Amino acid sequence: MATTAMTPAASAYRAGLYEWLTTTDHKKIGILYLVNSLIFFFVGGLLALAVRTELAMPGIQFFKEVVYNQLFTMHASFMLFLFVIPILAGFGNYAVPLMIGAPDMAFPRINALSFWMLPLAGILMATGFLTNGGAAAAGWTSYSPLAEKAYSGMGTDLWIVAVILIGTSSILGAINFLVTIFKMRAPGMTMFRMPIMVWTMLVTSVLVLLATPVLASALIMLFIDRNYGGHFFDPATGGNAILWQNVFWFYSHPAVYIMVLPAMGIVSEVLPVFSRKPLFGYKAFVFATAGIGALGFSVWAHHMFTTGSVYLPFFSLMTFLIAIPTGVKMFNWIATLFRGQLTFSTPLIFALGFVSMFLIGGINGAFSAVVPVDFAIHDTYWVVAHLHYVLFGGSVFGVFAGVYYWFPKMTGRMLNEGLGKVQFVLMFVGVNLTFFPMHQLGLVGMPRRIADYSSAAGWNDLNLLATVGSFIIGASMLPFLWNVFISLSSGKPAGDDPWEGNTLEWATSSPPPPYNFDRLPEIRSERPVFDLRHRPRPESADLQLAAEASAAPESAGPAGHH
Amino acid sequence: MSNARIRLPRFVPLGLAVVALLVAGCTPQAVTRQGAEIQSLYNIVFGVAAVIFVFVEALIVYAVLRYRRKPGDTALPVQTHGNNLLEVVWTVIPTAIVAVLFVLSWQTLNSVDSVSVQTDVRIRAVAQRFQWSFEYLAEDGQQVVFKQITPEMYVPVGQTVKLTLFSPDVIHAFYVPQFLFKRDVVPGKENVFDFTVDQPGVYRGQCAELCGVAHDAMQFTVHAVSRDEYQAWLKQQVEGAKATPAPSAAGSPAASAAPGTTPAPPAAGGPTIDVSAAQIAFEQTELSAPANTPFTLKFTNNDAGVPHNVLIHQGADAASATFFDGEIFSGVDTRLYPVPAMQPGTYAFTCKVHPNMVGTLTVK
Amino acid sequence: MTSSTTAMTTEHGAAAHARGGISNPILGMLLFITSEVMFFAGLFAAYFNVRAAGPIWPPLEFADKLHIFPLVGPATVLLILSSFTCQVGVWAIRRNDRRGLTRAIAITVILGATFLVMQAIDYTSLYAEGLRLDAGPFGSTYYTLTGFHGAHVLGGVIMLSVVLYRSLSGQFSAAHHDMVEATSMYWHFVDVVWIALFSILYIL
Repeated sequence: MATTAMTPAASAYRAGLYEWLTTTDHKKIGILYLVNSLIFFFVGGLLALAVRTELAMPGIQFFKEVVYNQLFTMHASFMLFLFVIPILAGFGNYAVPLMIGAPDMAFPRINALSFWMLPLAGILMATGFLTNGGAAAAGWTSYSPLAEKAYSGMGTDLWIVAVILIGTSSILGAINFLVTIFKMRAPGMTMFRMPIMVWTMLVTSVLVLLATPVLASALIMLFIDRNYGGHFFDPATGGNAILWQNVFWFYSHPAVYIMVLPAMGIVSEVLPVFSRKPLFGYKAFVFATAGIGALGFSVWAHHMFTTGSVYLPFFSLMTFLIAIPTGVKMFNWIATLFRGQLTFSTPLIFALGFVSMFLIGGINGAFSAVVPVDFAIHDTYWVVAHLHYVLFGGSVFGVFAGVYYWFPKMTGRMLNEGLGKVQFVLMFVGVNLTFFPMHQLGLVGMPRRIADYSSAAGWNDLNLLATVGSFIIGASMLPFLWNVFISLSSGKPAGDDPWEGNTLEWATSSPPPPYNFDRLPEIRSERPVFDLRHRPRPESADLQLAAEASAAPESAGPAGHH
Repeated sequence: MSNARIRLPRFVPLGLAVVALLVAGCTPQAVTRQGAEIQSLYNIVFGVAAVIFVFVEALIVYAVLRYRRKPGDTALPVQTHGNNLLEVVWTVIPTAIVAVLFVLSWQTLNSVDSVSVQTDVRIRAVAQRFQWSFEYLAEDGQQVVFKQITPEMYVPVGQTVKLTLFSPDVIHAFYVPQFLFKRDVVPGKENVFDFTVDQPGVYRGQCAELCGVAHDAMQFTVHAVSRDEYQAWLKQQVEGAKATPAPSAAGSPAASAAPGTTPAPPAAGGPTIDVSAAQIAFEQTELSAPANTPFTLKFTNNDAGVPHNVLIHQGADAASATFFDGEIFSGVDTRLYPVPAMQPGTYAFTCKVHPNMVGTLTVK
Repeated sequence: MTSSTTAMTTEHGAAAHARGGISNPILGMLLFITSEVMFFAGLFAAYFNVRAAGPIWPPLEFADKLHIFPLVGPATVLLILSSFTCQVGVWAIRRNDRRGLTRAIAITVILGATFLVMQAIDYTSLYAEGLRLDAGPFGSTYYTLTGFHGAHVLGGVIMLSVVLYRSLSGQFSAAHHDMVEATSMYWHFVDVVWIALFSILYIL
């Protein structure tokens, strides 16, 4: 295994609880994001298991509707606002400065603030369960008038404030990412030599910057309606119930790209490394990503086709158009694999899982773009199937690809490959078993968000199957947790570059020193470490760096003094 | 065989794909003109989707199997960065497919969504928390000829029905799976759509927009009968409404399938007090019960297919907090509610599903 | 062998002026302003939606309650004036005129605070006439839009006060005055939003 790094002058880590609580180091903050997000992933997952347990058979067995409605509302809210969006921001936090050769993010203290708002918001949201009326229960979409004071309790107010906090955290993070990416790239790294992960974080940050404030305005208006006698969304006094949906979805549609673009970035880093070829069509990728971001602002009302208040052909057309750049990405990923030399390490396996299941999610989403078909499948389990294929089959698999890929860089130790593959198989089987039957359930008429269904409807078997699948997903977390636990203390030492990576994070130690790099290799393509390994240039310092690295990988002397 | 364990034997992904397609495909058989058009469109989209899915997944599987790194592979593979022609090809072809699907979709939409001037039957569906009722309207589309409070809508086969949707509270959705159609019921706005049922039968429907704690119970049925049967039925309902003060719902079949409920808990003992509900009202609005001892409230729900309960408040004000919340169940049925001991006083009781149903419980 | 090392300079920490062009904090402020524009866009969208849905706008009972005089019109003039004085301050420090900066920012703070006071007085008189936050969608949109604008003015006045304090302590020079530039950009944004609000709510 070739190493291509320099030995750092300073020790790698300050440790201890105080350090973790007060750090402004993007790497530690990134890890904090990951840990916090995974905690909410497990909480959200338990809520999902509760939901599936109730739905396994007809009849109310465990959770009456009043509780059930809270379960699925909080499941989605935790998963979307406290797991998916933040964990991808966490990966961005960890990887972006390293990948562009910067010592940290542009505003390290704001970075820390962004993080710490999240556990606070999560706790705030969760305390809804302790209130008299229970937690928010109008779905994560919180449609008015159901979300108005007449129909809900303080749990909804807590939810509103929590989401505003999370949105603020996101916006501050986006500002940080954009300034970092525009202003702090190492010399030689032009925009078109940035890793695709950085591009996806850039586009994602633009989406966050432009869309999240609109959600904040919607939430504030709802809060005013609920608590200060406002009449924005109250039809009885001249307000407009559909107004909420328009403002909400104006954010929440771009939000779904916020939830998937960085995961696509991770996949776009992993596939080339484990195929030993560059990403096919780098520029096409960049334009496709930008196209998805831009088009993403034009489709929000496709969530509202059945309201009777939407200009249907426009939104249908724009929704169809988004399929095109998405397809471009899909084909470019596959072309990256073609004529490569694939090594089936766990990161690659998860990335392949992403590609194959996001395909399903993209295809079943296209059905909803067909407005008359949407009249049949909207608000049924078909949509539940779609969203879980893109979010779980897509984003979550991308997240785990990132975990297995960067864990060695973050900790200096490898995760166990065997356990990783066990996790993958269980998760892959579980996801398909849980969500594929939901297509059929949706087609035959099972609506979303129902605590119970009649035995006469004929939905029993598929529901039971989905529940079994969900517990298999739950089981898949056990080898993962065990893997992390044992690898942290006794995983194989990773070295600087265990995967023969392409991008700059592999040109420093694992874990990197606080300031990231002593020296950087010359940057003349989107794969600077690959260039260093395979075609170092005599005129630059590359040859010397490469020689140093292979001659004395363990030497701890100060670098840079010759 | 290479060193890397192959993920799956070759035929398994293919076999799974076939099974998946078989399972994924089937819509219910459409029973309306509009539904039949939607079903045809769905089949076309499904066909295209299936071809794309099989093709692309096959590419992935092929790449994964064919391009595994073998022990002899030390030199790098060819470092292809891209191919502009391919980019053009796999941009243009999906664009063409998308364009075709969009045009087909728009044509079907225009046909399905058209609201005709000439309609034969006009009905207003009222969706409120948590039940459906149906008002049959006269020629002018305004005057209510007959209001059906049980959630069953009768329509004639082969005639255009104009359905207006009204909600006094939150957003609901009118959804009949076998129509392959739904439309939101939005407070403050009356959505309208037409449908024509092709085949006689009984079709279940359900609210498809989360509306609160009994959203899953908000079910209804559509009875599509011949024109003559429909006329006769309507005439009978109108005359029945004129003859008796409150038409009984006992004649109509309890067609809506209530969600499975657990059996009522055993009675608390003590005296039994009877109360019943019919026509979305309590039939006894003044009840009395003994103080300081648990008692049983025997509640009979006479509204077929309509959910009710008895909720006793902590004070005489119907807006005060809950003291006892009985199980919600659909009629026609009886439950025994075990009410804990109460202090002397006057308490309001309401139905949680229909808060307009109010009565007074005097405890002494 | 000379090494073409490319280690990042850490003289000013990570927020250093790593590349040419505008500095990191100023770019950050511009992006923040962008997000705030979107926030107001959401509120405006709600306003236009509600206004279009209502048959008569403003509703009859509030038709003549919004008065440009005696308070709101002059307040608008003061706010526009304060943008000018703020910019005068920026120009001053760019030529290293510290006293000029201090004077200009002090006047800006006073003007901004006066705007807020005038708005508060206007609110009390509107409340007395029955136009309250809970007065139908008209009241909701009016107070939400102007209220959040006022909150942004307050934030701006606080930032300007900090600038004033730092200017009095001599912390700014022609070469280092990022905060002044950033704050003035924010203040101009607040002013532009008000011009849009005033036009839409009072004139159109």
